[in-house]
Amino acid sequence: MADTMTAEPAAAPAHGGIMRRLNILTGVAAGLVLGAVAWAIAYATLRHSDFGSDRVICITMVGWLLGFMIGIGAFAGPVRWLLGQDLTEEEHQFLAGKDQGVSRYFRYTTDHKVVGIQYLVLSMVLFFVGGALAMLIRTDLITPGSHLFGLQTYNSVVGLHGIIMIAATIIMVSGPFGNFILPIMIGARDMAFPRVNALSFWLIVPAVPVLLSATFLGGIPTGWSAYAPLADQAPPGMDAFLLTIIGFSVSVALSGMNITTTALTMRARGLTLVRLPIFVWGTVASVALGLVAFPMFMSSQILEGLDRTMGMSFYVAANGGSVWLYQNLFWLMGHPEVYVILLPAFAAVLELTPVFCRKPLYSYTGAIIGMAGIVGLSLFVWAHHMYVSGFAPDLNGPFMLTTEMISVPTGLLILVLVGTVWRGRVWTRLPMMAVYAMIWNFIIGGVTGIYLSDVPVDEAMHGSLFVVAHFHYTLMGGALTGAIAALSYWFPKMTGRMLDERWASVGFWTAQVGFQVTFLAMFAAGLGGMPRRAGDYAPEFATANLVATIGAYVIMVGMLIYLGALITSWVSGEPAPANPWGGKTLEWQVPTPVPLENFPVLPVVTRDFYGYGENGSGPQKAEPEHEDEPPRRAEPQPVGGPAVQAVAEEVAP
Amino acid sequence: MRMWVGVAGAVVGGAVVATLLGTSLSLAASSPAQLRASVHGVAQTPAGALPHAFMTISSYPDSLAGEHGANGGAHPDWVSYGPDTNLEVPAHALVTMTIDQYDTGGTIDNAYFAGVHGTLGGTETVNGKTVTGISAGNVAHTFTVHMFPADQPEVFISVPLPAVSDSAPNLANGYPKPNVVTFSFITAGPGRYVWNCEYPCGTQYAGFGGPMSTQGYMDGTLTVG
Amino acid sequence: MAETTTAPDPQAAPAPDERSPVRSILVIWAVMTVALELFAIFVPARLMGVAASKTMADIKESVTVFTVVAAPVVSVVWAIALHSLLRWRHRGSGPPPQDGPPLRGNLPVQITWVTVSSVLCLFLFIWGLVAMQTTSAQAAGNALVVDVTGQQWLWTFSYPGEGGVTSDVLYLPVNRPVLFDVTSDDVVHSFWVVQMGVKVDANPGEITTVSVTPDRVGSYVVRCAELCGLYHAYMVSQVQVVSNTAFQSWLHANAGSRS
Repeated sequence: MADTMTAEPAAAPAHGGIMRRLNILTGVAAGLVLGAVAWAIAYATLRHSDFGSDRVICITMVGWLLGFMIGIGAFAGPVRWLLGQDLTEEEHQFLAGKDQGVSRYFRYTTDHKVVGIQYLVLSMVLFFVGGALAMLIRTDLITPGSHLFGLQTYNSVVGLHGIIMIAATIIMVSGPFGNFILPIMIGARDMAFPRVNALSFWLIVPAVPVLLSATFLGGIPTGWSAYAPLADQAPPGMDAFLLTIIGFSVSVALSGMNITTTALTMRARGLTLVRLPIFVWGTVASVALGLVAFPMFMSSQILEGLDRTMGMSFYVAANGGSVWLYQNLFWLMGHPEVYVILLPAFAAVLELTPVFCRKPLYSYTGAIIGMAGIVGLSLFVWAHHMYVSGFAPDLNGPFMLTTEMISVPTGLLILVLVGTVWRGRVWTRLPMMAVYAMIWNFIIGGVTGIYLSDVPVDEAMHGSLFVVAHFHYTLMGGALTGAIAALSYWFPKMTGRMLDERWASVGFWTAQVGFQVTFLAMFAAGLGGMPRRAGDYAPEFATANLVATIGAYVIMVGMLIYLGALITSWVSGEPAPANPWGGKTLEWQVPTPVPLENFPVLPVVTRDFYGYGENGSGPQKAEPEHEDEPPRRAEPQPVGGPAVQAVAEEVAP
Repeated sequence: MRMWVGVAGAVVGGAVVATLLGTSLSLAASSPAQLRASVHGVAQTPAGALPHAFMTISSYPDSLAGEHGANGGAHPDWVSYGPDTNLEVPAHALVTMTIDQYDTGGTIDNAYFAGVHGTLGGTETVNGKTVTGISAGNVAHTFTVHMFPADQPEVFISVPLPAVSDSAPNLANGYPKPNVVTFSFITAGPGRYVWNCEYPCGTQYAGFGGPMSTQGYMDGTLTVG
Repeated sequence: MAETTTAPDPQAAPAPDERSPVRSILVIWAVMTVALELFAIFVPARLMGVAASKTMADIKESVTVFTVVAAPVVSVVWAIALHSLLRWRHRGSGPPPQDGPPLRGNLPVQITWVTVSSVLCLFLFIWGLVAMQTTSAQAAGNALVVDVTGQQWLWTFSYPGEGGVTSDVLYLPVNRPVLFDVTSDDVVHSFWVVQMGVKVDANPGEITTVSVTPDRVGSYVVRCAELCGLYHAYMVSQVQVVSNTAFQSWLHANAGSRS
């Protein structure tokens, strides 16, 4: 690309020098230092006060979080702006990771492709830890009686498994692919706010050890839903939990704002909203919903923090508070949140299915209406989690109606998916096969949700393993499987390698088989009356639990095989061509590896990206996998009907 | 070949991590040491002649005299039962339990637990005097054994333990003169049960946090068999 | 699986299968639906165990009916998916040489699909409303009032109208409506009479109510359905549904056991 060294005098070397030396290690160091200072001050002054240990712990952790953010360089940009020495173009390029090799992944790098890879690795780490915790849960429950550890540790493991998986499933599609792929897909060079993009990633990183430290602080007795007033009674591990949530909520809100602004304002010329790939619509719908919902979660935890550290009584009935305040705040987030998890995965599946069936998306408008319906309705169904709470029983009927109504837009999305497959030329590679698994799982999850939406049936099933099996079928069988489809699809573009499909498929299908075994057994146990979050159970549930545990071990083996295939392919797999699948969207029109600025020339879009079989197109120009030639220059080329035309002049970046 | 190595590495590595995690959590969990009742002789009961088992435990105002070591472990100021909270009694026996109660107390929320339930005759002796309950305003702790979700004989025993006066002087061992509570119950077939205190003597909300929610202090297990 | 009468040209791609898929999909759909209906009729209700009240019997019926109604609907989706793998699959690991037909939606199909799913949704809603009305109509005048107190980690039951008898076992007379007034002394619990299909949260500082009529003598169980701390899994109480005379003699025998 053209040399963009400016003629400005060199910036004050001290600042530029510090900024260039900051990375995750300086972040950890600064976090430890500020955390220790905060602890020392808090311990000296507050330890004998009321709620002393909770106050000391909260202040220490805030010190750690703040210190880490300072040490990683999150404040470099704002500080420079305040000093009147805004970052130069060369410093922007540095921050974007230009010419830095692998070390750019360990810094506060603003390039959306780097942030996408960082989110991918973070998701994998979170799934690994959450999965290990799941194995501990199932091992403890293999037969009646407590085996591995007592009930206190069990309750804590269940809670940590829950929150880690919730965090992982929230970021698993919009993090890696919303960051790496989406800007390229809309013909942009980066996100609207690249530094905020890095911020939203790096906010999560120091929150992970904060969450895990709960293990050493007495654990959490509440499950991830952290119901008050049990949370008021909890050991200091609860403070670690609520601070994690506050940090995570800020990260989610920031990335929601960033992705939405990017999709609305940074589309290439000619890329009107009706030509926008469905993945972009789905991701924006999801993050916009999260932007509305997550502040509720954050508020619920802030109030809990005030109860725990200041003796306030937001949730203490005896002093005028209400348990229902907590439940409403939590579920106002809790229900939209499952669609925040589901929509990007479903949208990614809707994006890849046309490619692997060589057909246009069946009813693009229908898909958008379906997503809009889900987003709109999801804000009005939260109290179906509270049917038996005693809060406004007269509202159970209306909430039953809105909850059952969500099945209509969801069904519309299924129609779009199935219609796209109809009469297609189905290319049965792993991304497409994962879509089939998702269809199977999501239908089961969705139908069992209908049972729970019925108030009398919910009176039997609420708080039982039936609910656990339902949400694992939708979130894990549906959303996570969709995310694996998305990863298998975009892996060549993001890593430059082809995923070894034989091994990845062995792992994937093994995990799917184990998944059916485990969670069908859990439906049975739930129907029979076994409560959830129970570290021990009556002998009548012994068979179901034994079967579920065996299934869990199969899931573990399958997932680890998939992980091994993923990592090995990433390190030493076949080099990938720029467009192995014959996709029409813009990310497949740029070379692999994607250059820093994405496009040398910003594209101009003339039609949508689903033109399969239209305009008398000939055979697809998917590139064979064993191409020896070097990657092509990024000249946008017509693929199966021109969607994009090159523009002669350089468009300002 | 590379794929075999990579996949095998991931499977083994993942299994190792999960095993390490499980083992360390398991080791860190509360001690499995059991306090076993000692059997002396035979007693005549309404259910016939049964072996007679005896056990003595205490309820303390701190954790310096129980299973947490002489310096009280992580929370020396937490009330606790001692010497152990995992108790074992024989099946098909008459068990006579003595609790030396050293702690102060107050008013219990649910007055049901100021009464004696599930013992032989529905009574306990407090410092030698037989009663069916104590004043709900003077409870220090309860010893409540309750239902375990298993297919086993139902056991529900709850005995209230009267409080020591706030102004009672400490003796040489650092504790005041205890209230001695004795009660007996007949065990049926083998089973696993839990027990906990039902008086809010813990910390935080509702007095059920801290020692009340932690095994090894005010919560334990009772194994019959 | 294209049916050609001449030897296929090894250079050309196999001709796409243009036969109408409807019959094949219908066959798959029928097989799946039959299997799922058999499952629906025999399995879920059996897994739910014995019903000790009409409320629970209705719940078992609802679960069965929902499964019966869902079976043909899910079979449509799964049959199309399976058919696509059998007939529309491109064989070979390379990309399909030709695109599929440019179908961008079919308004009648979409309208039918949305209409059918809305009708199903309406059916479910009305079914649910009717079931809710049946349940709430049960709180009759001569209901036995039982105060349920949940605390960490057990339940106590007292009978204010029967002399204030308090117990840790829930005794109930058969065929008499019961009104439970449920509260908690500490955190949120959930009072779940498993075999009677009723559940309501026990909240501190509030009284929530639920009513049911036990119609079967026997031993049942109350479980806590909201994680309430350390021994949540062990917060289980016995329920004994007995004849009215046995209930009265039990009350008499426990008259001394007051709260």
